[in-house]
Amino acid sequence: MTALDMIREDLRTLLHDKGAQTGEINADTPLLNGPYDIDSLDLATLVVTLEEKTGLTPFANGFVLFHTAGELAALFGG
Amino acid sequence: MNEVPHKWLIVSGVSRGLGLALARDLLAQGYGVAGCSTTFGEDLQALKDVHGGKFVWQAVDMADTAAIEAFVGSAVAAFDGQRLWGVVNNAGMSVEGILSTLPVSDIERVLRVNLTGAICLARSALRRMMKTRKPGRIINISSITGLRGYTGLSAYAASKAGLDGFSRALSREVGRIGITVNSVAPGYMKTALSEGLDDRQLDQIVRRTPLGRLCELADIVHLVRFLLSEDAGFITGQTLVVDGGLTS
Repeated sequence: MTALDMIREDLRTLLHDKGAQTGEINADTPLLNGPYDIDSLDLATLVVTLEEKTGLTPFANGFVLFHTAGELAALFGG
Repeated sequence: MNEVPHKWLIVSGVSRGLGLALARDLLAQGYGVAGCSTTFGEDLQALKDVHGGKFVWQAVDMADTAAIEAFVGSAVAAFDGQRLWGVVNNAGMSVEGILSTLPVSDIERVLRVNLTGAICLARSALRRMMKTRKPGRIINISSITGLRGYTGLSAYAASKAGLDGFSRALSREVGRIGITVNSVAPGYMKTALSEGLDDRQLDQIVRRTPLGRLCELADIVHLVRFLLSEDAGFITGQTLVVDGGLTS
């Protein structure tokens, strides 16, 4: 499973759990201010989950800017 | 017996004083407790003997942020399948002295243990709690010295005031998923942390306290017990002062 697959799966679960609309998520899908109701706490939860699944900690030395699902996936190995 | 089966808590600084009293009470309420402290004595062994696997303990110096993360990881493994309900950040140390003569190493140590350590413990726990997207509790034990100050306790007071600010800010971050974050600010207690106060100072505090006595461990334990309950789910971002009216 690629990092983008994990992001798709985790975001769908996260949006479903909060009763928000879900739909297609591709590499170009913006995360904040995008088509889905994703806020900074959701993103933090997503990052924590990705860190656990991949064993990678791309933010350990400071925040790295990302906007889309693809950019976040790239930080976790693509 | 209660509403708390399968919930467990992290409590720091459990070897003595308030932390030990909290661990005892929360275990009696039915919570599992993962406690940490720098020392382990007969009181903690007694808790292990009585409560078995519901009480786990690990040696942790709260100045060691890597040890804090490792402790939380071990505790999660020990309580596998049960719900991490919250954290009581109780561990603390005091340094006293007029600031101009206080060693910088003492200032750094008290801030690292009381503030950085507490924040990192909450961070490690939150990383596990937020994934469940279920309510929880974080309680930071601060002090009225952080609100009003006390001569000779400036660095300690700064660390405790920092905890209060931390509680307020974090409550805004995690409120949406039902995690509450509060500070409890005890008045002056007769514990190891108040050893720096002599009898004359303690008498003066009692005289100025409307309810006419020092703060007792039970006063704080009862409030923490309530804040951890489901009934306290709408209280967050607060510093609750328990001082018999001293600072009113």
